[in-house]
Amino acid sequence: MSDRLTSLRETIEKILPDVDGVVALRTGPGGIVAPYLFTKEHPEELAKLALWPKEPVPDTLKIILHAHPDAKLAIVCRGCEERGIVEMFKHAQFSLDNVTLIGLQCEQSEVESCQCFKPFTVHAKLTVGQPVEGVRDPMMAKILAMSQPEKLAFWKEEFSHCIKCYGCRNICPQCFCNVCALEDETWVETGRLPMPNPSMYHMIRAMHMTAKCVGCHECEETCPSDIPMAVHFRLIARDVKEMFNYEPGASMEQKPPQLLVLEEGDYVRTGLPH
Amino acid sequence: MSEPKIIGFLCNWCSYRGADGAGMARLKYPPNMKIVRVPCSGRVSPELVLRTFREGADGVMVLGCHIGDCHYSTGNHRTAKRMPVLKKLLEYSGIEPERLYVNWVSAAEGEKFAKVIKDFTEQIRALPPFVETMK
Repeated sequence: MSDRLTSLRETIEKILPDVDGVVALRTGPGGIVAPYLFTKEHPEELAKLALWPKEPVPDTLKIILHAHPDAKLAIVCRGCEERGIVEMFKHAQFSLDNVTLIGLQCEQSEVESCQCFKPFTVHAKLTVGQPVEGVRDPMMAKILAMSQPEKLAFWKEEFSHCIKCYGCRNICPQCFCNVCALEDETWVETGRLPMPNPSMYHMIRAMHMTAKCVGCHECEETCPSDIPMAVHFRLIARDVKEMFNYEPGASMEQKPPQLLVLEEGDYVRTGLPH
Repeated sequence: MSEPKIIGFLCNWCSYRGADGAGMARLKYPPNMKIVRVPCSGRVSPELVLRTFREGADGVMVLGCHIGDCHYSTGNHRTAKRMPVLKKLLEYSGIEPERLYVNWVSAAEGEKFAKVIKDFTEQIRALPPFVETMK
């Protein structure tokens, strides 16, 4: 890990004079790792550069770019974060004209802790570290092997732990709507815990993550009840790939299926009569 | 055994007229389905379908115009894209995906309308009441 840290520091030092700032992780006061904007005015901060645990840097980039749309920035991103940034860019959250992506390839140990399927960057010009293969998510196979009543019992049990803190929505780099359906009492009942079945909150969130979820696992990381909700998103992502030939974050150009009419996409394996 | 409750979201321009056609032709179909007329099948959001289930429906039908015949040109493309995903989600959540039915019925297809209602009601009758499974 130290090798990667040194070469990342060198990469940032090299790019720092040409940009207004570099977004990366820093060990702050109290040993807490958080996103930080490294600038040429304070190069000494680079001594505190950190790699792990990962934090949602796409959101940090968005906050900075909203406040300073003309800022010339670089951002250190892992595979999942890069996909998050690409999807946010495609949904017009910010422009990437003045942004340089520095890809940080994950190590085997990190891949296993995240169960990541694609732990490497594909768009970043500058990269640090050697790409490793992704792993297959055991949760997906577990759900698929269950019978319908088993699935129902499993999710009833898991969702009964939900305290509706909205943490999964708040942390999600793809949840950026100004008006959120989950705050609408028409759809999500307030004042009842555990939530009645079927859980409107989680079902609606799963639907809204269609063709958007980049598999960064931030929602599961942040969940105080350890609900494995992202398995829903990944299962649907598999179907979206099959039906619409779309993989979130894989391409800068390909439009998401939500924005296209049927003739424009290479669809129609959706199993509907036509 | 109680009768299954079915809610049908019918597009105003095709399927609702199809229902009229079925009535005009005196075609028989089971009375389980309660019709909700919507301007377009694209109006039927996944949230709406989920809430309908939550309110105790045993089955939900979404009927719209055939692809290419939409009154709003591409409204039913939304239905065609989102409903299969919702079906998959229901399946992964342990809810029978057969409880959600999507089809295209034009204003002239009264017979098809009567047939899909009949078939779907039979299909839902074979399943346990939705509220029971959620307990």
